[in-house]
Amino acid sequence: MIRIENLHKTYRAADGRDVSALADVSLEIGAGEVFGIIGRSGAGKSTLIRTLNLLERPSAGRVLIDGEDITSLDSEGLYALRRRVGMIFQHFNLLNAKTVADNIDWPLKATGHTDATARAARVKELLALVGLSEHGHKYPSQLSGGQKQRVGIARALANRPQLLLCDEATSALDPETTQSILRLLLDINRQLGLTIVLITHEMQVIRTICDRVAVIDGGRIVEAGRVADVFLHPQHPVTRSMVAQSDALAAASYDPAHAYMSDKLRGTLVRLTYIGDVTYQPILSRIMAGAKVQITILQGEVSSIKDVPFGQLLLELEGSEDDIGAVFAELDRHQIHHEVLQ
Amino acid sequence: MDLSVIDWSDIGVATWETLVMTGVSLFFTILLGLPLGILLFVTARRQLLEQGFVYAVLSFVVNVLRSVPFLILLIVMIPVTVILIGTSLGVEGAIPPLVVGTAPFFARLVENVLREVDRGVIEACQAMGIRTWRIIFGALLPEALPGLIAAVTVTAITLMSYAAMSGVIGGGGLGDLAIRFGYQRFQTEVMVITVALLVVLVQIIQYSGDRLVLYFTRK
Repeated sequence: MIRIENLHKTYRAADGRDVSALADVSLEIGAGEVFGIIGRSGAGKSTLIRTLNLLERPSAGRVLIDGEDITSLDSEGLYALRRRVGMIFQHFNLLNAKTVADNIDWPLKATGHTDATARAARVKELLALVGLSEHGHKYPSQLSGGQKQRVGIARALANRPQLLLCDEATSALDPETTQSILRLLLDINRQLGLTIVLITHEMQVIRTICDRVAVIDGGRIVEAGRVADVFLHPQHPVTRSMVAQSDALAAASYDPAHAYMSDKLRGTLVRLTYIGDVTYQPILSRIMAGAKVQITILQGEVSSIKDVPFGQLLLELEGSEDDIGAVFAELDRHQIHHEVLQ
Repeated sequence: MDLSVIDWSDIGVATWETLVMTGVSLFFTILLGLPLGILLFVTARRQLLEQGFVYAVLSFVVNVLRSVPFLILLIVMIPVTVILIGTSLGVEGAIPPLVVGTAPFFARLVENVLREVDRGVIEACQAMGIRTWRIIFGALLPEALPGLIAAVTVTAITLMSYAAMSGVIGGGGLGDLAIRFGYQRFQTEVMVITVALLVVLVQIIQYSGDRLVLYFTRK
């Protein structure tokens, strides 16, 4: 659906120096996918998402949407493209002078839909979709943050886009509201087959709804892949520190050199990671039943990333080298990933 | 103070003339100043239709007109006014200099009001694939409406005081009355009444403007 090829963006800063916001970014995003881009502030994620509807023009490189290079579109082509690509924003960006219903009607009315009855029906449908049927007559200032974002979503969907861009769409919301907006986005993704590209600095957002994730730092993609793979086996230091700072996934970023328990360890420190249905099978107990190894669970989590269950455990194994080797062989047989940390 | 010396019908006529001068010139000031202000806003740096040269020229013209003291503008404009409407005297004669004097001022106010509109809102409209002129008239101006009304209020009051000043070169209205009777014939009573009337009129304009702003504010 989207192919980003060798994208560069350079700004001329106020002091005359050139600042690179994006450097050689290449990504491929499939149709129907929820794709997350995560990075710290200033990493270039906002610039990147804004190149997908050319709110930001890249300095070099191409962006292909459905095979069409959008960087070479003329102004008519760009209008047409933007009508096929919805966007929602961190600060909602609703028109304060228009009611909720008129806000949703506005992109229809302003892009040449002259049939007012058809428009009114569409607005009603969208209000129902985002759960705001009772609020059409209100002004944005009378709504809560979550409700405003729902209006933003309805407005973005008005022209039936195939792609929805979310620019830090939940960053101004409290955790509970964030979850409800994410659920709505996921519903829309599934019901309408809409492709969603979102940027965020919150790992929780990625974990909840994304299929794949790219980690951006200093204008470069440092890591990308399935969310479970990237977050459970973080390779790049930036990803590691991001994972380490979240309350969850503590085992994924465990670093023996900095851990408080490292000097109390007697045995071998091992991290097990398993993804998928295996999570709910009693494999650990099967393996340990015949083994002559003492096991201590030091840290761990069994949860899911989007709808993929996973488990990750930090274990201390005590026993002879041969006995531990036998346990590893058994883990391999069950395709449970293990790494010896110390 | 002896109010019996005052010719109340003169006062009535003069008040009416002041209202006409203010009203008509306010109409033309908006007619010229609003598009000029919109043009200033959209051609400015990093705005919808960035046009550095156009902005620089417009901005320069506006600054020049705004730097001429109104009393001097009144005099300089006399030949132009004669060409435009045949006389530089009375109510009609005062209107061209009033418009030329306040339209650039109003245009600047409009430019500033439009700058106060949240950039993100305009950007959201651009992201929807809406044409620029449609964004200006369908989103930008409605969003800025309370600010624009406030700008009109300020301009109307400025116009009223300028209209009074035009009495010096033979314009009509309360200013003319104050100068001819209050100043030149030492009828202090007339001066007091005209000033009092101007104060009342300004209060009414400001109050109505404030109410309208409140009515249209959705924030």
